[in-house]
Amino acid sequence: MTLKAIMLGAATGIITLTAAVAEADTSDKRIALSNNYAGNSWRQAMLESWQKNGDAAVAEGVVAAADAFTTSENQATEQAAQIQNMILQGYDAIVINAASPTAINGAVKAACDAGITVVSFDGIVQEPCAWRIAVDFQQMGREQVKYLAERYPDGGNLLEIRGLAGVFVDDEISAGIHDEVKNSNFEIVGSVHGDWAQDVAQKAVAGILPSLPEIVGVVTQGGDGYGAAQAIGATDRSMPTIVMGNRQDELQWWADEQASNGYETTSLSIAPGVSTLAFWVAQQILDGNDVPKDLTVPFLKVTQDDLVEALKTTPKGSVANVEYTQDQAKDVIATAK
Amino acid sequence: MTDKTVLTQARPNPARTVLQKPWLWAYLAATLTFAATSMIAGSDAGSLFYAALTFASFSAIVGIGQMLVITLGPGNIDLSIPATMTLAATLALKFMDTQTALILPGLLVAIGVGIGCGLVNFILILLLRIPPIIATLSASFLYQSLAIWSNRGLRIKPPESLAEFATGGALGIPNVALAGIILATGAWVLLERSIAGRWISAIGQNLRAARLSGVPVNAVRFGIYVNSAVCAALTGFLLASFSGGANLNMGTEYMLMSIAVVVIGGSSIGGGNSNVPGIWGAALFMFLIVSMLNSYGLGAGIRLILTGLVIVGVVTLASRKGYDA
Repeated sequence: MTLKAIMLGAATGIITLTAAVAEADTSDKRIALSNNYAGNSWRQAMLESWQKNGDAAVAEGVVAAADAFTTSENQATEQAAQIQNMILQGYDAIVINAASPTAINGAVKAACDAGITVVSFDGIVQEPCAWRIAVDFQQMGREQVKYLAERYPDGGNLLEIRGLAGVFVDDEISAGIHDEVKNSNFEIVGSVHGDWAQDVAQKAVAGILPSLPEIVGVVTQGGDGYGAAQAIGATDRSMPTIVMGNRQDELQWWADEQASNGYETTSLSIAPGVSTLAFWVAQQILDGNDVPKDLTVPFLKVTQDDLVEALKTTPKGSVANVEYTQDQAKDVIATAK
Repeated sequence: MTDKTVLTQARPNPARTVLQKPWLWAYLAATLTFAATSMIAGSDAGSLFYAALTFASFSAIVGIGQMLVITLGPGNIDLSIPATMTLAATLALKFMDTQTALILPGLLVAIGVGIGCGLVNFILILLLRIPPIIATLSASFLYQSLAIWSNRGLRIKPPESLAEFATGGALGIPNVALAGIILATGAWVLLERSIAGRWISAIGQNLRAARLSGVPVNAVRFGIYVNSAVCAALTGFLLASFSGGANLNMGTEYMLMSIAVVVIGGSSIGGGNSNVPGIWGAALFMFLIVSMLNSYGLGAGIRLILTGLVIVGVVTLASRKGYDA
């Protein structure tokens, strides 16, 4: 590990000695994860990735601690109190997946003032003293429409499945979808809220389906593709191209359909392992490296070509995942500079 | 035929008797939303009705459990329904592990989880004297955590034949709806035709009077809370089989749904007076109003506002009887 770090330090033009010293600098640092919600498979995989990666980092002596804490109620007030506790416990860095982009700004500011490095990811915070590892949700929406436009150059009708009403992520993905649809021949003929849950999506789609004309594609937000497939499969409509969100049951369904009738689609989402990216970014900041305040998370895509491979590596009932290494985190930082 | 003329007529009038039924408004609302959606759906209205029956059954089954709890009087409510659903579904599906031979034992696991959750709720409420709203809410954290701990959010598929049963139907009626109708009939017989039903209403109307007249108050309350948890567990089991696996957040929307169907169905919010047919009317309506607003392309904001207004309207109409008398 150390040798690798030294080599890398040399490669990036930093004096070897400084790099070696800097590397040792974080061995007594303690990093905490403040997580607002754990009630779905994506979050569970996220916590698991954090723990696996954090335990390894502690064992190798890169950091002294990598503890994860989750609030029970997904409330900003609760998370603010949790961050206050972390300040008192003397953590050197706090990595946050926030319940709200604004409501915990006060607690984040207090942490910064106490000299603590704050890195937010996925659910980011707006407080300027914190680092933000953001997802380009609009782009996520656009990519889906772009894929469908390739498949259906003549256009057609689309059904949109949205997330949880009133949440920023839902508005962003939907804005991206609608924006890109304007540049295509598609028309969105129906829109329902699936709350990012298969059973809710299934119910909503089954309810609107009788009122819809023929649809060629379904644009989604993740965690809702399988439910849509179930609802449409229950009718005698032909199956439209449903863009999936990397869940194992979605990929499995896709592979089964592929085997039986050559069904093709695409799948994209954010890997839950983004928590490990946030971990390494926090470690790099503690290490004294210059890290831009705004970083972007790469999407994890599953295409027709790597479907089989993705299914093999995704545990049953979970989400397709990648964990980031320290070097990959450095790459993400370098591209943002 | 207007309201006024009917109301001024003499008592033994069948039209008036029907108009006084508090469940009438839920069915009226469901019919109106169905008609409005059918105008868009056209020839597909049949499949809309089929979908409504399917999805309403989940709300109806949890609603029956919640209704009996609410009947017990002010302060009685079961907020652990979503967590009980999740826990029962998770443990049952994990136990069955997609094996057809284990379907019946799996169902028993789900019911067992329901009985266990109901027992814990009741112990907190009676022995520790915690108000039901706090007891069931805090117990639900326990159940939810157990569900997370037991399977870490992994989604296990139901056995093939169970999934086929849950998504299938007989005589043009979905199987899950048949289950919901059987349970509702059972609840109606219990409430309207058995001595236990009288006890439940008596406790809700006046706890002290019920106790003094020899009603086994604690035994009835025990039965009702366990029943609510078993209904939730059963719904969790059916829903997970229907939608292809148990999710950690699968029960979330059934917290408010279970209360909404009770209230819209015309049961008294203060307890003591409940109403089984209304549960089904309200459950159908809750599904159809979302379908209708989605079909007309209205956004989530308008949808929520309209849903809220309609709930207020239906509750006002359904409870008018109390003020007339």
